[in-house]
Amino acid sequence: MAKLTLDELRKKRAEAQKGIYLREGEFRGKIIVHMGTCGIAAGARGIVAAFLEELERSGTKDIMVTTSGCAGLCSKEPMATVEMLNTPPVKYGELTPDKARNIFKEHIVGGTAVAAYALGMGSERGA
Amino acid sequence: MAARRIELMLCTGTGCVAGGAFRIKQALEEEIARHGLPDEVSLVATGCNGFCGQGPLLVALPEKIFYGWLKTEDIPFLVQEHFLKGRPVQKLMFTPPEKKEPIPLLGDIPFFNKQMLLVLRNKGLIDPEKIEDYLARDGYAALEKVLTSMSPEDVIEEITKSGLRGRGGAGFPTGVKWKVCRNELKTPKYVICNCDEGDPGAYMDRSVFESDPHAVIEGQTIAGYAIGAAHGYIYVRSEYPLAIKRMQIALDQAQEYGLLGENILGTGFSFDLEIREGSGAFVCGEETSLIHSIEGKSPEPRQRPPFPAQVGIWGCPTVINNVETLANVPIIVTRGAEWYSQIGTATSKGTKIFSLVGKINNTGLIEVPMGITLREIVYEIGGGIPGNKQFKAVQTGGPSGGCIPNSLIDLPIDYESLKEVGSMMGSGGMIVMDEDTCMVDVSKFFIQFTNDESCGKCTVCRDGSDALLEVLTRITEGQGMSGDMEFLEELGLAIKDGSMCGLGQTLPNPVLSTLKYFRDEYEAHITEKRCPAKVCKNLIAYWIDPQLCQACLICHRECPAESIYGEKQMVHVIDQNKCTKCGTCLDVCPPRFSAVKKLSGEPVPAVERGIKVERKKKPARPEQEKVQV
Amino acid sequence: MLSEQSLNPRIGAALVVGGGIGGMQAALDLAAGGIKVYLVDSRPAIGGVMAQLDKTFPTNDCAMCTMAPRLVEIGRHRDIEILTLSDVQSIRGQPGNFHVTVKKRPRFVNETKCTGCGTCVANCPVRNDVQPLDVPRVELEPAYRDKVAEIVRRHRERHGPLMPILQEVNTAFNYFPASVLSYIAQETGYPFSHVYRIATFYNAFSVVPRGKFVINVCMGTTCYVRGSQRLMERFSDTLKIKPEETSPDLLFTLKAVRCIGCCGLAPAAMVGDTVYGKLTVKEVSGIANKYRGANGHGQTHAG
Repeated sequence: MAKLTLDELRKKRAEAQKGIYLREGEFRGKIIVHMGTCGIAAGARGIVAAFLEELERSGTKDIMVTTSGCAGLCSKEPMATVEMLNTPPVKYGELTPDKARNIFKEHIVGGTAVAAYALGMGSERGA
Repeated sequence: MAARRIELMLCTGTGCVAGGAFRIKQALEEEIARHGLPDEVSLVATGCNGFCGQGPLLVALPEKIFYGWLKTEDIPFLVQEHFLKGRPVQKLMFTPPEKKEPIPLLGDIPFFNKQMLLVLRNKGLIDPEKIEDYLARDGYAALEKVLTSMSPEDVIEEITKSGLRGRGGAGFPTGVKWKVCRNELKTPKYVICNCDEGDPGAYMDRSVFESDPHAVIEGQTIAGYAIGAAHGYIYVRSEYPLAIKRMQIALDQAQEYGLLGENILGTGFSFDLEIREGSGAFVCGEETSLIHSIEGKSPEPRQRPPFPAQVGIWGCPTVINNVETLANVPIIVTRGAEWYSQIGTATSKGTKIFSLVGKINNTGLIEVPMGITLREIVYEIGGGIPGNKQFKAVQTGGPSGGCIPNSLIDLPIDYESLKEVGSMMGSGGMIVMDEDTCMVDVSKFFIQFTNDESCGKCTVCRDGSDALLEVLTRITEGQGMSGDMEFLEELGLAIKDGSMCGLGQTLPNPVLSTLKYFRDEYEAHITEKRCPAKVCKNLIAYWIDPQLCQACLICHRECPAESIYGEKQMVHVIDQNKCTKCGTCLDVCPPRFSAVKKLSGEPVPAVERGIKVERKKKPARPEQEKVQV
Repeated sequence: MLSEQSLNPRIGAALVVGGGIGGMQAALDLAAGGIKVYLVDSRPAIGGVMAQLDKTFPTNDCAMCTMAPRLVEIGRHRDIEILTLSDVQSIRGQPGNFHVTVKKRPRFVNETKCTGCGTCVANCPVRNDVQPLDVPRVELEPAYRDKVAEIVRRHRERHGPLMPILQEVNTAFNYFPASVLSYIAQETGYPFSHVYRIATFYNAFSVVPRGKFVINVCMGTTCYVRGSQRLMERFSDTLKIKPEETSPDLLFTLKAVRCIGCCGLAPAAMVGDTVYGKLTVKEVSGIANKYRGANGHGQTHAG
């Protein structure tokens, strides 16, 4: 490889920064895909992949995609919860990869929840 | 690199590798592949995480969930539950001793959240074998800034203002050293990175090499620019194979990227680095010895002045800095001297890495701001002493340092305060000792070490350490005489005065400081022939309490000297004449009996053979530890 | 009747053998007491070893500063007669009256006239003509030849080649055979004494054969306070060799090292590059057997 100039170094650095954003620790929001046995059977893996693809394409760095166990509403799987900072979490059900992409565009990037897929706002109250 | 949902930062520092980190890595890779997760979960082999006592360990991002003491058997469960289904696994999380609830998040574990990371800012966050990871964490930004917008004088000024002092032990101001070297007229000039970390109990330099080698390269290149050098050496001890390997990879990458070599980043500045290995001689950590060692001369120190900054390697002006010092340089340049000098105390700025080891719950590497108290380190970060034992002392500064007793536990740690109490910063080993540690034995240990490692050039150091060792050995063997303590003190002071290099000037410190703070222990050894910590072999005896012995025959079988009489149903008896005091019987005696005792300074009660065992109430959990009778 | 006194008359003179700092002081003290002193030294000048020292123990005083006034005083003292280049041949007699034979070797220079200008040294043709020793060239045994020659060739042109060469040779053969050291000295141009000194200075080097597996038991502070001394004893018992020794079958060498930097895992030991942490005395024989097995000498268990 040829030696770098200053500009190339900066470019390299910016490129590398994309790869490690998970380690930086500042997040604006969180997408939780429910991956219980039922969720996986209903295709939750495809939903995760769709979210990750969108994430990468948009270059967004402050969104965390994570998984959790069964949400308890197995008939509506695959499900995901979107938690944006300072807003109540929104639960979506019966997702498909396309729906997931839509949610990403409208809710995460755009900031408005997609009412059509939403099951409800807020989380269950703890005992 | 594609977006991932989880990144696993698996520690592959030497400690965790010894604990099987590479086996864990393989198991993780297999399991992740089996669940079809490689697109969603990535595995990063990082350098030392610092919490070595919990190794092998990993941190799952983005939540930063900490898993310690991993075993290959746990991996399938972990991958399925957490990384697939998203349910963090409680039983693998860190649970503080004597507590029941695990602490899932790294940031909540006291060991981590009391620390302040400057030098180790990238630890556990980057793959040390990938330059891209370092670049992403603003790597080489400081070099860029220096080469494009600062003159060498500016750099020196900035470092001077920051108050950075040598982290290798003596604490000489780094900026001043660079300035002296810059002002020398002779060329070429050299920069040497001193990674001959010989102090027993200190391994932060190794850890920096293993977790963030590029930070050292960047710091050293900046040093080269500041003093006007075109070539540098990295001197590493051969006991650190992994550190050498990672540093070599980093050097190759930096050269490939043009961050080392001719005309760096097109700015016209050229600088190159080369690794030189030591071969196991403690004295080579001393700067003039180190120079002699690289030159292929006999590695003995020489008289200073002239200092190496004036006349160093190949007779040329040379700056020698410790690893940690150099790793501080990039962050000072990026964040500015003013920001840096706000951290720490009036005379000691910034942070210091300590290796917190010994009789302490949380062992590992910690980076803390200067001025933190010992109490915070031992009880908050370190989590106290295992087994509810009594804290006795902390030994700092390796063989050149001294012991700081319990009474000084609120001492703020900086260069001056440590010196005042008769110890020193040294390279940052911090060895915690509890009531089971004999201070006379410890000072004998250090003198043995320095006696071995004395190069023999100065008579005081060579023969003086012999004499110290002889007296200390006599004391631990129960042959101490009155007047010994005074002799040790007098001789210690003479050795301090009469030696040429740092090794000799500081070698009596362990003896002098223990004499100062633990005089009663010396007295017990000398006058009562008793070792209060029950360590010194000649002063202790092992004895089986006939009231407690349950005749399980384990000690009888395990005793290497065959000195234990034992029969079914009969109380076991140790033959004191045959006993070699190896301590095996104490180790193997089941904890629920605890019949083997150590005695010191009292006559061993005679127990006749053939006493029937007194059966106690049923053992607590007979199904777990079967007694073979 | 002869008294004992007249048979053995005391002589007011003393002879001091050895003109070092002790002899010089004795001579001065005796002379100050009014006794005639003969100060004998076998070397060409008095002064002894102290004249070669920089500083003295334990006060760190400058050696020459201590000596110089005494040298001058002795030189000037009329009751002290210095006999240099002289050896005591025999002593007869009794305390108070000795008869000593001193043999003085020739100096070929008239001491009373010499001013110490040094011209004779500069002009002497013999002294300046250094006769090179006729040293035969060292040829290496076939077992070492190619490897060592290759290593030397690779590093010879480097700045400071000795350490890299020794390190690689040590890694290759686990120790330095004597012929290899001579060869390195010959090829690099360093005196053999220097190469030998370096080879014996460092802990990682050895001039005696070492075992295939070097067991390094860490004796760093942390390991020590956590009981590595007992690990060492157990290794020693299991392998039937003492620390720093090699087993007769050249399989194991047992060594104490000062800290391998695994303090978080104390007590620890290192075999080759493999670190064993949190070791207990019980695990020791298992480790030894593992390496015995690795070498095809599987341990057979009786019973």
